[in-house]
Amino acid sequence: MQVEMLNVNKSFGSNKVLEDVSITVNGGEIYALLGENGAGKSTLMNILGGVLPLDRGEICINGESVSFEKPADSQSSGIAFIHQELNLINDLPVYENMFIGREPKKRFGQLDHKKMIKETEDLFKRMDIDLDPKALVGDLDASYKQIVEICRAMSTNASIIIMDEPTTSLTDTEINRVFGMMNTLREQGVGLIFISHKLKEVKRICDRYAVLRDGGLVSEGYVEDVTINDIARFMVGYDVRTEPLIRERPLGEEVLRIENLTYEQQFKDINFSIKAGEVVGFTGLLGDGRSELFQSIFGSKGVSSGAIYVNDKKVSTNSTMDAIKNGIAYLPRNRKENAIISDMDILENSAIATWPQYSKFGIINKDIHKQQFEKQRDKLNIKMDKWTDNITKLSGGNQQKVVLSKWLNTGPKILILDNPTQGVDVGAKEDIYDIILDLADQKIAVVVLSSEAQEIIRVCDRTMVMYHGTVQGELKGKEMTDHNIMTLATGGELELEGEGKPLWKQEQ
Amino acid sequence: MEAGAVSVRRGFVEWFKDKWQNDPLFSIFIALIIMVILQTLTLGFDFNSFGEWFQTWVNNWINILRNNAGVAIVALGMTFVIMTGGIDLSVGATLVATGAFAMTLIDIGERGLFAMIGITGVPAIIFTMLLTMAFGYLLGSLIGVTVTKGLVPPFIATLGAMMVFRSVTQHFMQGYNPRVPTEFLQIASLKIGNVMIMPIIYWLLIAAIMYYVSKRTTFGRQIIAVGSNEKGARLSGINVDKVKLRVYALMGLLVSIAAIIQVSRVGSMDFAGAGRGLEMDAIAAAVVGGTSMMGGRGFILGTVYGVLIIAVLNNLLNLFGVPPLLRDAFKGLIVIAAVLLQRKKII
Repeated sequence: MQVEMLNVNKSFGSNKVLEDVSITVNGGEIYALLGENGAGKSTLMNILGGVLPLDRGEICINGESVSFEKPADSQSSGIAFIHQELNLINDLPVYENMFIGREPKKRFGQLDHKKMIKETEDLFKRMDIDLDPKALVGDLDASYKQIVEICRAMSTNASIIIMDEPTTSLTDTEINRVFGMMNTLREQGVGLIFISHKLKEVKRICDRYAVLRDGGLVSEGYVEDVTINDIARFMVGYDVRTEPLIRERPLGEEVLRIENLTYEQQFKDINFSIKAGEVVGFTGLLGDGRSELFQSIFGSKGVSSGAIYVNDKKVSTNSTMDAIKNGIAYLPRNRKENAIISDMDILENSAIATWPQYSKFGIINKDIHKQQFEKQRDKLNIKMDKWTDNITKLSGGNQQKVVLSKWLNTGPKILILDNPTQGVDVGAKEDIYDIILDLADQKIAVVVLSSEAQEIIRVCDRTMVMYHGTVQGELKGKEMTDHNIMTLATGGELELEGEGKPLWKQEQ
Repeated sequence: MEAGAVSVRRGFVEWFKDKWQNDPLFSIFIALIIMVILQTLTLGFDFNSFGEWFQTWVNNWINILRNNAGVAIVALGMTFVIMTGGIDLSVGATLVATGAFAMTLIDIGERGLFAMIGITGVPAIIFTMLLTMAFGYLLGSLIGVTVTKGLVPPFIATLGAMMVFRSVTQHFMQGYNPRVPTEFLQIASLKIGNVMIMPIIYWLLIAAIMYYVSKRTTFGRQIIAVGSNEKGARLSGINVDKVKLRVYALMGLLVSIAAIIQVSRVGSMDFAGAGRGLEMDAIAAAVVGGTSMMGGRGFILGTVYGVLIIAVLNNLLNLFGVPPLLRDAFKGLIVIAAVLLQRKKII
C-alpha cells in the first residue's frame, strides 16, 4: 500500500502550521517523520489519522484520492495511529485490550473470551512475541504496552501504522524489543511512520526520512545518505553540537554523602559522596531505582535505613520541606505529572517552592518573586510572552526552564535533575546542558539522572550506573562510553584498566 | 461620528466576547445581573412611586441576604475543600453538633455549663463563641486527619462523619431544651438603623477575608496547587497533608460560625432537621460559581455569585408563585445550566 499526502495546508486561525507539505510512504518501509516540537509533525499525522481536516491538499491511497472526515474513515482505509499516550486500559487483560470496541460476541451478546484469546495467541505467534494474552495490561512494562498497541493495530489489518514517539519512555532493552517488532512488520510489507526525536534510533531503523521545520518540508531522502548531524541541522536550521561539554573546574568540599541508604525493595546499600561543583550522572535501565533513590533523598518517598549527610551533618529528610531547607532541590521526571501546576501562571509555577520563605504572616510577597523570576528568565533564556500566561502555553523546553527556575530560587547546594531533557527539543536541550555546567561552575553539586547514555557522557564528570536498586559501578572521564554504561546497566561486570582516570585532577 | 459610534460598539462586542470566553466569572456575573433585573421587574418597578418601590426592593434584598448568610458562609469553606479536590458532606451535621455545643454552654437553665460554674453575661457569650468555633475547628480537623493520615477518601470520611455527628448530637440533646439568653440573640439580631443586618456583615467580612486568602496567601495558593496537581505540589515542597488538614479544619470553623448565627437568630435548633441538605446547597453554590469538582480551579467571588443566583432564583420562584415542591427542580436545572455555560472554558 502507498499513502501520499500532497500539498497539504493547514492553519489554526491566522497561524499557519503546515504549508504545501507532500510526503509519500510505501508499504514495507519505515519512514521517519522528524522535526522539533511545533514543526507540524503531529498536525500532519492528525490529518492522516482523520483527527483533523485539512484546509487544502489531497490524501491518496494507492493513487486514489480519499477524504477523511473522522478517525474511523482513516482506520477503515488501513491506517492505524498509535498515539504517544497509549490508549490501553490497564485494568483489562491484554486480549480484551486487543479487541476494544470490536469485541467478538456470542449469540446472546456475551463476550467471546475464547475467541479473543485464541486470535491474540495466533497473532503473537505470527509476530514471534512471547506474551501471555491473559496478563493484565497494568502489569506490563512500557515496551510490552507499546507492543500490545502495535498488535492491536495489526489485528485491524492496518497496512500503514503511525507511531508517535514510541520509544520516549522506554529503556534500551525495551527499545530493542519494539524495534524487533517493527522489523518484522516491515518484512511483512507494512509501512511504518516513525515520529521521534532520537536521531540515533532513526539512523538505526529507518529507511527514509522527512524533516519538517516551521510547517514546511525542508528535507526528504534516504537515511543512509545523511549523517545524524545533517538531520539535526535540517531540524533546527543550524549546526548542532554533539561533542562532550565537560570542562575542567575546581571542586569544593563534599556537600552530600549517602551511607548505606536502603528503602524496601526499591534500592539497597547505596553509598556515594558528591563535592560542590561536581556533575555526577546516575544512569541505568527502567526499574534500576535511581528515581526512587533520589526521591527518598528529597524526602518524598521514605528511607528504611541508612543516613544522609549534607555538609557532613546528618540530616533527616522526612518531607520535601526538610530537603529544601537542607539545600536539596529535585527536578522530577515526567514534567506534566510531577512538576507543572497547570491551573497556575508562569510566575506562580516558578515561585511555588519559595512562597513560604518570603511570605510574612502567610502573605505572598509577589514583588520579590517577580524580581527573582525576571533574573532567572534572562539567565535561563526562557522564551515567553507575559508572566501571567498559563504555564501550559509554553513549549516543553521553556516549561522545563520555568521548573528549573523554581529550584534555583531556593538557592540549592545540591540540584538533582531527573530526566531534565525529557520532552524538550534539540535547541532547548543544549541550553539545559549549558545551564547545568554553569551551575556547576557556581559550586552547585549537580546530579543528572538519565537513561540516555549520550547525555551522561556529554555533561557529567563521572557517573554511577545502577542495576536493580544497587550501584553496579562507577565510571569516570573517558571510561564513560555507551558500551561500559550498557554493560553495567544490564548487571555485567567491568574490568577497568587501573584506576579510572578523570579528565582533570581534583583540587586538593 | 457615525463611524465612531460603530467602532465603539464593535469594541464593546469584542470586549464582551473576549470576557465571555476568557473570564470564567463573567458569564456567572451576567447571569446574576439578568436574574436581578427580572426580579426587579417582578417587584413592580414604578417610577412614580420610586421611594416606596425602592424601600420594598431594599427590604427584599436584606431578607434574601440575611436568610442565605449561613449557607453562604458554609459555601465559602466548601469552595476551598472542593478546590483541593475533596468534598465535605458533613457540614449539616457539624452545624447541628456545633449549634448544640453552643447551646449547652450558654444555656441559662439548670444544665447550662457556664451557668453552673457562674459565668454569665458578656463573658459567657464571648467564651461560648470562641469555644464553639474551636469545637468546629476540632471536628473539621478530625475529618482532615481521617482524610490525610487515614487516607480515607473525603467522600467516605465526611459521609461517615455526617452520620456520627448528627446521631451523637441527637442522642445527647434528647429531651433537653436549652434556654438561650436574649443577650446571645444580639449576635445576629442586633439592629443597625432598625435593620437586622449582622449576619450579612459577617458573611461579607468572611467572604472578603477568604477572597484575600485565596488570592494572596501561601495557604490560598497552595490549595490550588494541591487541587491541580497533588504530586507536583508535594514535589515542590508543599506539605500537602497540612494544606488539606487546614482546609477541613477551616470548613469546620466556618460551619460553627454559621451555627452560632443560626442559634442566635431563633434561639433554638431542631437537631433532627437543621442543616439537612446544607452540604448540597453549599456544593451547588460553589459549582454554579465556577469551582471545578476535579479540584484546582475555584473562585471565592464565584461562590458569592453562586449563592446569590440560587437565592434570587428562590425569591423569583416565590414571587412567581411556583409551587414549593417544584422549586428544587429549578434549582437543579440552574446548577446544570451553570456548568454547561462554563464547560467551554475548561481547556
